[in-house]
Amino acid sequence: MTIGLLLSVSAFCLLTGILLGRRAPGFWLGLTLLAALAALGACGQVLLGGAEWDWRSAFRVGGESVHLRLDAVSAWFLTLLSVVGGAAAVYTRDYWSDHHYPRSAARNRAWWNVLLLTMGSVLVCANGLHFLIAWELFAISGYFLVTLERQDREVRAAGWLYLAASHAGTLCLFAFFTLLAARVGSWDLGPLRDRPELAPLFWLVLAGFGVKAGLFPLHIWLPSAHANAPSHVSAILSGVALKLGIYGIVRFSGWLPVPDAAGWVVIGVGAVTGLLGIAFSLAQNDLKRLLAYSSVENIGIILVGIGGGLLGLTHGDAAWGRLAFAGALLHVWNHGFFKSLLFFSAGSVLHATGTRDMSRLGGLWRAMPWTAALFATGAIAVCALPPLNGFASEWLVYLGLFDAVTSRTAAAAIATPAIILLAVTGALALVSFVKASATVFLGAPRTAIARHAHEAGPWMRGPMLLLAALCVTIGLAPVLVWPLLTRVTGVWHPGWSGAAVESPFLGLGFAPLLIASLIVGVVLLVRRTVRVRGSERQLTWDCGYALPTARMQYTGGSFGGIAAGWFNWILRPYRRLRRPRGFFPAEASLIERVPETVLEHGIQPVGTIILRISTAVRRLQHGHLQYYIAYVVVGLLGLAALVAAGVKP
Amino acid sequence: MIAALDVILRLAGWLLLAPLLPGIINRVKAWVAGRRGPPVLQLYYDLARLWRKGVVLSTLVSPGFIAGPAIAWVAVLGAALLLPLGPAGAALGFRGDVLLLIYLLALARFGTTWAALETGSAFEGMGAAREVSYAVLSEAAMIAAVLSLSVHTSSITLTTMLAPAAGAGALLLGAGLFAVLLAENCRVPFDDPNTHLELTMIHEAMVLDHSGPPFAVILHGAAMKLLLFALLLTEAVVPIGELGWLAATGVLAGGVLLVTIGVGLVESLLARLAFRRVPLLLVTAFLLCLFALLVAWRGGAS
Repeated sequence: MTIGLLLSVSAFCLLTGILLGRRAPGFWLGLTLLAALAALGACGQVLLGGAEWDWRSAFRVGGESVHLRLDAVSAWFLTLLSVVGGAAAVYTRDYWSDHHYPRSAARNRAWWNVLLLTMGSVLVCANGLHFLIAWELFAISGYFLVTLERQDREVRAAGWLYLAASHAGTLCLFAFFTLLAARVGSWDLGPLRDRPELAPLFWLVLAGFGVKAGLFPLHIWLPSAHANAPSHVSAILSGVALKLGIYGIVRFSGWLPVPDAAGWVVIGVGAVTGLLGIAFSLAQNDLKRLLAYSSVENIGIILVGIGGGLLGLTHGDAAWGRLAFAGALLHVWNHGFFKSLLFFSAGSVLHATGTRDMSRLGGLWRAMPWTAALFATGAIAVCALPPLNGFASEWLVYLGLFDAVTSRTAAAAIATPAIILLAVTGALALVSFVKASATVFLGAPRTAIARHAHEAGPWMRGPMLLLAALCVTIGLAPVLVWPLLTRVTGVWHPGWSGAAVESPFLGLGFAPLLIASLIVGVVLLVRRTVRVRGSERQLTWDCGYALPTARMQYTGGSFGGIAAGWFNWILRPYRRLRRPRGFFPAEASLIERVPETVLEHGIQPVGTIILRISTAVRRLQHGHLQYYIAYVVVGLLGLAALVAAGVKP
Repeated sequence: MIAALDVILRLAGWLLLAPLLPGIINRVKAWVAGRRGPPVLQLYYDLARLWRKGVVLSTLVSPGFIAGPAIAWVAVLGAALLLPLGPAGAALGFRGDVLLLIYLLALARFGTTWAALETGSAFEGMGAAREVSYAVLSEAAMIAAVLSLSVHTSSITLTTMLAPAAGAGALLLGAGLFAVLLAENCRVPFDDPNTHLELTMIHEAMVLDHSGPPFAVILHGAAMKLLLFALLLTEAVVPIGELGWLAATGVLAGGVLLVTIGVGLVESLLARLAFRRVPLLLVTAFLLCLFALLVAWRGGAS
């Protein structure tokens, strides 16, 4: 089937799903999956077959004829959207069923399809006006999904913040698209690399799409939205919606010329985003907030790669730029897969226990072995440990940066600190994720709710298994995705399409596969030996305590405490400690909370000041007609005085 | 066929030689203290004994308690196979293999800390927390060291990076890597492998509840990690690539022996640091490696 037909089938299924899915969940699920498969088919033709689809209609929307395009860059992101969108649709069948959420389940299905449809439209729109419309609709449908459970105050607050931040970003995009259209003379989007005067527009692109992607100071909406949204929504927001921000940056940095400083700035912003994102993640006690901040970190890694690509371009098509850029692209997929997996697992935990507070969980592996194992898989992947997929993409980024360093060009001055920061970020990610998995799944249950948890059903487990399988496959055989990556980088920068660079993964070769099989072998061997030698179960020894209680366990807060302490200058934790006093101390307590520093110490004070000024100015607006006439008279007199003084306008 | 034989020989070498190092360190410590000390082969006896023993498992632990140490052991072994042995080269070498080595060590850390946290014990939580947190700093030092070698040789393949050593910055790099070696292998002044049941431990605190074969795997993995770091240090400092086959092997063995004796001496002569000083020393190690990087940078510019 042709690409156009497949995409129309996909859009048609989603639209029908919106209309009919409210009443018939099974029908909706089938249609959504069909839409995802059709879109995947179209992407497959572009990415594997090298086709490209460009379609311009006769009819007009808003005075502009509809122009759609699916090239390799769009297809790369559309693939991710289809996989995660489809998997999450299956997941919500049990997770957000009519039985559990009679009020919002039908709304969820409708908005879900709107979200998929509008995100897909963003990816294929090749007209600035329509791009903006699709972008806005996508943002709004995201809002409605975040606030499905809107009776909760915190959810509504998160929704508002999301909407406000999203519109601040849209404002930049509005400026960008109108300026672009004014200078080019058309809303049509496409390659305009030979117009150097357009380069400064890149900063608008970076700010506008950066808000959606979650760059460091612009990430404020992300943690609360991801934590308070239903888990399948968190998964698609983290896994795909953030990537649409990345898509914007990739798309327009490929189509338009970029300023010389772009590479430096993007790498710098990326490295800082990565480091601070993971530092914030370390200090969280809310499982989903921790995952959300880890998304900020991963966006940082992706930006470092993109920055490497841009830097490579300004240094005259350096081959290392392509490596770093390909790494960023692969990380877009990888992060989409493992972060969705992690959010799904967090959703299962939430489903089973009703809490996201890690300090109330623990020992869940017993009740939820599948979820625990799948979360562990995601954790290994997100820490970029071999042999899973996170390593493959970070390895590419590293490779590009190292080549930049050894090339001994000026680029080395930014690539060197970026490498060190990436390594530190990686090590901190390990702290954060060992903490998360251990506090939630290992040890003894800390509360009764953790003791009475239950495993997720097959409809929730299936999508998680699929995503885990993708993580493992890409991790073991990254060689498979290299041809696709070269196609995308070739479309992004035509100069990179010609001379085929030999796959760097050929060197890595079967090393991950070898490690994986060795691991399996040795684990089985040790297990067998333990079984042969016999084992007995005893209480945890714990240095002689006869009655260890669950409360004596190390908590997540204390586990991350050492590393988080290094970031107190930005985390600014709020701490209230009541020490035990006297011979028979009654009670002691420690309250610790990590604020959203940027929001609470940066944006809210500024907002308060603006509000105060506005309140003061508002006194001028009181509804007394005679005063308004006085304003006009004073104004006119002022103007007259200016004219009399001989000031020329 | 030759390749398979080569890998098997290497494997055997790593597996058999590694437990020698802790024995030598203990001998040095005994000698400085004027004791007779345990035999050099003590760890071999211990490993054999542990492998034959049964296991006591905490009632809380999942299968990950046994899988964790096994994963860590494989990861260290994998890293070891990536490390070139002087003129013999590496069993597996490719562009960017040095990053795989660093991340395999991180995987090992994931495995051991995961297993430690299985038991729900406060001590093991404490040890694991320290392990992963201080590793952040030692990883920064490692990557700076790798960068300096990489800048010096314009390569990111271990075989080429380690052949001519670090050049002018070798002394700085050696000092930095030695500190990392001490921190990563639970040695004084960062940690004391001999204390048990104290609040001041890192690695030993993590393995309090392990016994039998899994414990043997942990001990053997730790020994291999020590050998790995000792070899890495030697090769980063001594330009082995310029020596002949026999001389290179001799230098490698001598270097490892020297590092081991050095560890023993440090352990005998220094006291353990207070915990809040550990990050300071590790940051110093990082700075040393960073200066080595600057030296390498300057060296290439001329």
